[in-house]
Parts: sequence; C-alpha cells; structure tokens
Amino acid sequence: MDKSTTTLESDDEVTIQPLASKQNTKDWQRISPIAIIYFLAKFVVGFLSNIVVFLPALYLGYDNFIAHPHLWLPIGLAILAIIMISTFLSFYFFQYRLYQDHIEIRSGVISKKYVNLPFAKIQNVKLEQPLYYRPFGFTCLQLDTAGSAMQEAKVVALKVDFAEQLKVEILAQHKIASSVVADAKAETVNDLASKNRNNETILNTRSITDLIIHGLTNNRIWIFLGGLAPFFDDFGRYIVEFFNGLGIDLEKFLTFADKPMWQVGLYALTLTFIILLPFTLFSIAGSIITFYQFTLSKVGDRYIRRSGLLTKYEVTMRLSRLQMVVRQQDWLDVILKRINLKFEQSNSALNQYQASAENNRIIVPSINPSECLALVNNVYPTNKMMTVDYQKISKRFLLRNLGYILTPIFISLLVFFISVEKTNLLMAIIPGYLFVGLLIFMRWFRWGYAKDEDFIYIRKGYFGVDYYCFPIFKSQQVQFKQSWFQKRHKLSSVRVVLAAGAQDIPFIKQEFAYQLLDNALYQVESSRKSWM
Amino acid sequence: MQGTENIPGKVHFSNTGLTSKDLPRLDSLNFEMLSPLYAKSNRYITLFITLFIISILFIVQLQHFITLTTAVNNFVSYVIWVIALVGFMSTLYTIVADKRKFYALRQQDLSYQSGVIFLKTVSQPMLRIQHVELKRGPIDRKIGLAKLQVFSAGGALHTFEIPGLPLEKAESIRQFILDHKDVNHHG
Repeated sequence: MDKSTTTLESDDEVTIQPLASKQNTKDWQRISPIAIIYFLAKFVVGFLSNIVVFLPALYLGYDNFIAHPHLWLPIGLAILAIIMISTFLSFYFFQYRLYQDHIEIRSGVISKKYVNLPFAKIQNVKLEQPLYYRPFGFTCLQLDTAGSAMQEAKVVALKVDFAEQLKVEILAQHKIASSVVADAKAETVNDLASKNRNNETILNTRSITDLIIHGLTNNRIWIFLGGLAPFFDDFGRYIVEFFNGLGIDLEKFLTFADKPMWQVGLYALTLTFIILLPFTLFSIAGSIITFYQFTLSKVGDRYIRRSGLLTKYEVTMRLSRLQMVVRQQDWLDVILKRINLKFEQSNSALNQYQASAENNRIIVPSINPSECLALVNNVYPTNKMMTVDYQKISKRFLLRNLGYILTPIFISLLVFFISVEKTNLLMAIIPGYLFVGLLIFMRWFRWGYAKDEDFIYIRKGYFGVDYYCFPIFKSQQVQFKQSWFQKRHKLSSVRVVLAAGAQDIPFIKQEFAYQLLDNALYQVESSRKSWM
Repeated sequence: MQGTENIPGKVHFSNTGLTSKDLPRLDSLNFEMLSPLYAKSNRYITLFITLFIISILFIVQLQHFITLTTAVNNFVSYVIWVIALVGFMSTLYTIVADKRKFYALRQQDLSYQSGVIFLKTVSQPMLRIQHVELKRGPIDRKIGLAKLQVFSAGGALHTFEIPGLPLEKAESIRQFILDHKDVNHHG
C-alpha cells in the first residue's frame, strides 16, 4: 500500500488488462484520481442540500466577514484547504480488490468502512456516469444486494470498459453457479463480454416529444412545492411587490365582492395557470434530465435501461429479479393515451435508500398502448393483463366507505354547522362531500382483480387506472383479513406481500380469497422457485 | 416462465393440512394457543401502566411544592378519569383479544391469527424466509416466554411475528425453520 504513489499512474493500464489475469490479485487497488472530483462533487452537493442550516450564520456573519477580511480570509482558506485535503484523503483511502469472485471495498477517512461482497450475492449492477466523468471515460459502478442485511457498495471511478466487463462477469455468476460446469466459466465470461453490446436488442427508445408529454402528465411539482413550503410567505410578498411595481394593486384586484362571478372565475383560472406554468416547465425539464436518450434493451435474460442528460444511468435487471409489472395511467395519461410502465424489483431497501430504490425499478415513460403491450408480453409472454376478465370488488366497499364512514361524518358536520348557524360553511362541505363521494365511487369502479394459472392481476385507480400483474410464485407472504361485518356477508380482504411491496384486494368473496391464498402458498411451496 | 430451466423437475410436495381436498386449505388450519402466561402478563402490564400514570397524576395533584390553579387541577382530574377509563377498556380488550391469538404450523408454512373485530391471518411460507429472530424483553425473560420474528423480502413492515410462545416451543419452531431444507438456499 505504501508504493501507492507509483500505482496511481499505472492504474489505467491495469484496468485495460483482461479481467481473468487480475481476477485473483490479492493486492488492494486504488481507483483513478479522477475520483477526487467525484468526492468533491459529493461534498458540494451535501453542503448545498444542508445550506438551509448554514444560511442564517452566513447572513449574520456577512457584514462581519466584510469588515474583517484579514481575520476571515485565512479562516476561509483554511476551510477550503480542509475540504481539499479531506476529498483527497477520501480518494486515498478508497481501495478495492477483486479476489476469488468477491469484491472488497475499503473506504472512509476517519470511520473506516469495509464491504465484502461475493459476486453471487449481488442483485443489481448499476452504472452511473456523472457529467464530469464523461470526457475521461470513467463511470461509477454501484452494486446492490438483496436481503434484510442491506449492504451497498459503490466503486466510484472505473474505466467504462472495465466496469462493463466487471458487470458482465458479476451478472454471469448466477448462471455459472447453477450450471455447475466450473471449467466453462472463463469462456462464458469472455463470450458474454465480447458479445455484450452487439447482442443487445433495443426494445424501446423515447424521443424528446415523449419526454415532454411525460413531464406534463407526471407533474412532480407537488414534491417541489413541498420543498419550497418554508419560503411561501416571502414568495407571496415578493409577488405582491412585483405587481405593485408594475402599477397593479393586486389586493384591490383580488377583492371579489364587487365583481361578477365569471370574472372571479377567470382570475382564478389565469392565476392557477400562471402558477402552474413554471412548475410544469420544471417537471418537463426534470423528465428530460432523467430520461434523455432513454433506451431499454435486452441481452439474454437481462434488461438494460440507459438514460440521463447530465448523469447517465444504466440499470441492469435480470428477468428473474423482476417482481411485478405495473402499467400506470394518470387521468391525463388516460386522455392522451399514454402509459408509464414500471418493472418493479425488490425494494426492501426503500426505507433506507429512497433514491437508490427509485433507481432500482425500470420505468418506461409515456409509451403508447401497443408499445406497452409489446413490452409486457416480452417480459411475461403468457400474461393476459389487458385481456383477462377483471372482477369488480363487492358493492359493500361502497356501502362501508360511503354509508358507514363518509355520510355519518358529513351529516354530523351538517347538523353541527346548522346548530351553530354557520351556514356559509355548508358551501364548503357539500362540494367536499360530493367530491370525496365521487372519489370513493371511482375507487370502487376501478378496483378489479383476476387470476390465471401463473399470474394475479389487479386493476386500481381513481380517475386514472393502474394495472398490476405479478407471478403468483413471487409471493413472500399472504394475509387474509375479515371483519365481523364482512364475515356476515362471506366477504374478506386479501393482501399478497411481494418483495416489491404489498398488494391488497378488498371485499372479495371469502371463498375466492381462500382459494387465491391457498393457491399462492401452493405455488410458492411446490415450485420451490427462487423469488430473485 | 423464467427460471424454470434451473429447477430440477417436479419435487415431491407435501404440506399436511387437515382436509384433503386438492390443495392444503388455510380455512382449516390446526391452530394452537399461545402460552396462557402471555395473556396474563399482558393484562398485568396494561393494568400496571395505567395505575402508574394515574398515581403520578395524583401525586401532581396532591403535592404542595407548586400550587396549581383550579383550572389546571380540574384538567388533571379530568385526565385521570380518561386514563382510568382507557386503561380499564384496554385491559378488557386484551383479555378478549389475547384469547383470540393463535398460530399454526404446517410443513411448508407458518400462520398467525389475531384480531377481535378485524380478524387477520398471516401466512408465511418457509421457502421465503430470510432469517429468524427470537425477541425476549425483560418480562418475557422473567416468565420464560419469547417472541418469534420471521423476516422475508417483503420488508420490515411485513415481519411475521408470533408473540407469547414458551421458550422451548419458540426455539423448536426456530430450529424447525432453520432445518427446513429450502431456507438456507436464499438470501
């Protein structure tokens, strides 16, 4: 390790060597120095996302800084130097080695981290190429494992071709493990590596138009608005001042008492539009940044998603890792006849690593129905997602939610408001009641289920409609639920827990529920197929 | 379907249920009771916690270090009544609810049933189990009980639990799961 300085330059050379020769090197290696940029960028991002905490200090200190440059300049420089040194140390202490089909990573400056992953345990290999890596041909290799003992590893700077090679080898492990032939190992790996790119069949690509549609229909503005919530007050004040500057008195403008209804309506509409417009643009930009040059391709049993404008992502999923296919349409999608198709993998990591879980599934954004059908049939050739006859859940779902929950609440509110003579509040709760009632009705209307030999299908939604389809043998756990009231009518609810989350079907016939669960358990237990 | 090529043919399957229709049936599981100590300890714990909170509030009311205004005093007595009521109700509820907790063991899966008004039966196939834990709090240790926790890839939210098992029973179930020949091939 002490001769490290010499190995720094030779690193590139090492990476070009055939994998087999360095397969069993016991030596720890350092990644390329370009990783310094990565660590720096990570630090900056970390700093920026915490900047809210520092802002008051900066604000208060600003005058102080200006008044005493001789004092603060050195301190600033010292901080800068510390950042530089710490990023260099992060790089310096980041080492990995490949040893007997294990990858080991050591990292950390003060708190040391050591990860040892056998290739066979790696569930998912992702390549992530930030903008600044692209000119130099480097990439980050991220390795995910499944299971309750969650381990993640990221090798932060590898030559692209080496990373590709490594990826192929890691993903080939399972096949090799199951086909026992140890000698064929090296061949298979080389085979796969050489055929890698040429063998790929491209299943789907997305044009900019598609991405714009995706941005429009999948407004993520609510997330954005949530993040901005603390600044709303200031925002409002600025807007009022801005209009005042233009000679428009907003407050007078928005006093409705002396204006006809249509004018107020028009204002509201225009205002909503003005507010929504920038957010919609953000959403479109977000969609393009994430999905730019989207391709979904297939090699053997692996599906590969590549996309990204600034940071290029590559997610590889083996077909056996797929847990569930989700065909999603919001109300706007229904109108435009577009579909978001999601291939869900295990997301037991969801709680800990929200972002990585988001990357863990393959989303095909805003495709049209025929493309969707082709893709779904590609992964599950025997599925009947769109042709199967969906059974509606029982009407007692409506009775419970509307009759026993919503209406009593509504009536008691009504009585309360009338008794305290606040009749103007009635104007608010009556439309509210009607809207929630409509939502419940649509919920019931959409909720359907079906089952054939291999799959369970669920249809859900309110104004949009989502279809879920998963192989029965992927179930992790099943739950049967029944309340007293349901029991009287021989109804019950079921929940099937998958590695990609739980799926519920409420208010179905008790007999069918038992049949469904018995069958699910039977398929899991008798087939003995692995879920991943 | 995918993955089938790796499966060595049909494996002999047996999962003895009670009835012999075509499939083993969940609606005729052979349920077993939890340890009677579990219900008893639960009852005492609820009762004890209620009494503890109430006595603290009484102390607050009767102490002479800080004089309380009448409004606060009234409020505290009100709270005492509410807690007494809630504690009484929940003790009653545990008496009823703990009698309705059962578990069932089959060759291939575990089931646990609970609930008074909302009955719930959770079934966990052994094949999908990733690891098993026995949890024992201080009271459990005192009276020789254990809680069996079974983890699958369904995530922490869907951890399968059987509380109130006698320790030997819990350990033997745990061993049964570990000995199940498929469990170790996963995760």
